[in-house]
Amino acid sequence: MALSATCVQAEVTTGQDADAGLPYWELREPGMSVRLVQRHPDQTRGFFLARGFSREDVELIAQSCVFQTIFRNTAPATSSDSLEYDLKAWRVQAAGEPRSMQTREDWAKIWAERGIAKPARIAFEWALFPTRQSYNPGDYNWGMSVFGLPPDSHFDLALSWSQSGKTHAAVIPGIHCAADAPPILEVE
Amino acid sequence: MRLQRICLLQLLCMLVLCLSAYQSAAKESGAQTLSAVTKPVAAPAFELMDLDGRPHKLADYLGKVVVLNFWATWCPPCREEMPSMQRGWEKVRDEDIVFLGVNVGEDADTVFLFLADYSVDFPLLLDKDAKVIEEYPVTGLPTTYIIDAQGRITHRAVGGRAWDDDVLLDRLRALKSPK
Repeated sequence: MALSATCVQAEVTTGQDADAGLPYWELREPGMSVRLVQRHPDQTRGFFLARGFSREDVELIAQSCVFQTIFRNTAPATSSDSLEYDLKAWRVQAAGEPRSMQTREDWAKIWAERGIAKPARIAFEWALFPTRQSYNPGDYNWGMSVFGLPPDSHFDLALSWSQSGKTHAAVIPGIHCAADAPPILEVE
Repeated sequence: MRLQRICLLQLLCMLVLCLSAYQSAAKESGAQTLSAVTKPVAAPAFELMDLDGRPHKLADYLGKVVVLNFWATWCPPCREEMPSMQRGWEKVRDEDIVFLGVNVGEDADTVFLFLADYSVDFPLLLDKDAKVIEEYPVTGLPTTYIIDAQGRITHRAVGGRAWDDDVLLDRLRALKSPK
């Protein structure tokens, strides 16, 4: 996918997401937008603890750099410019080799090995951003994306998508995973 | 005279700002689109319980247009669109158009808690084991399918919509009597 991509001049903005009150990184191009909103590890812990995961299993997710992702097809409603993406083609560029994102399918294997109960697995699957999706104009999704990095890491995200028969690629630079809160001291 | 001009200018500025804010909000909330399915297919059959333990079969709604919404209480755009679904349903409830909300993976207690904050009168069905959603080509929540009076999936919307929008409701009405 990336080989034949048209590399666009990325229009990336950052700021504080009004709803989450946390930093975001947003790429807007004609016909699409994607926003990554930082999630604090404690938010992720709280979410999955409430859905049947053990503390040990929750740590696996919370320590893996999770962002809320909002991807939209912003093409005019009157157009037929459908949009497709595949997270397997996206690359996380941090220190060392570029790596893949951790998708629903990757986590499904982990949860199967760890014997996670089905209600928790269902919640996890649907809470995660879809690995592949096709959007028509006006369509969008929200979901958690997992980048597989320790808290407080910085990375660039090389992403690609296709729209109207053309493949596009862009880089969102300098994304920052939320730092973890210091552990609460236990006193006797 | 000068004071009148200043007031007029201020009024114009406010109008421009309001229009700009409205356009921005409309853009962020997504277009009111329904994507037509190229070849309508029979909607997969199901039977699910509502919150009162009453069974609902999709087949029970043959002859009506069904707005089948897959959602979860923790999903932000699902929560955002739910009040508009309620208002949309209130507008068309006597017109052979049915709204069904299929909650994915949660139990009745969780949905009851949700209803403490959101007033919803149309049937909310429990797909606790995610068996039904697996029969539909859903990859993200919310996703809504429109099923025509013949039981065929004719349209899809991925992400939330303002379901009380009359333009959108007119498209549902048109499905009751296909050409």
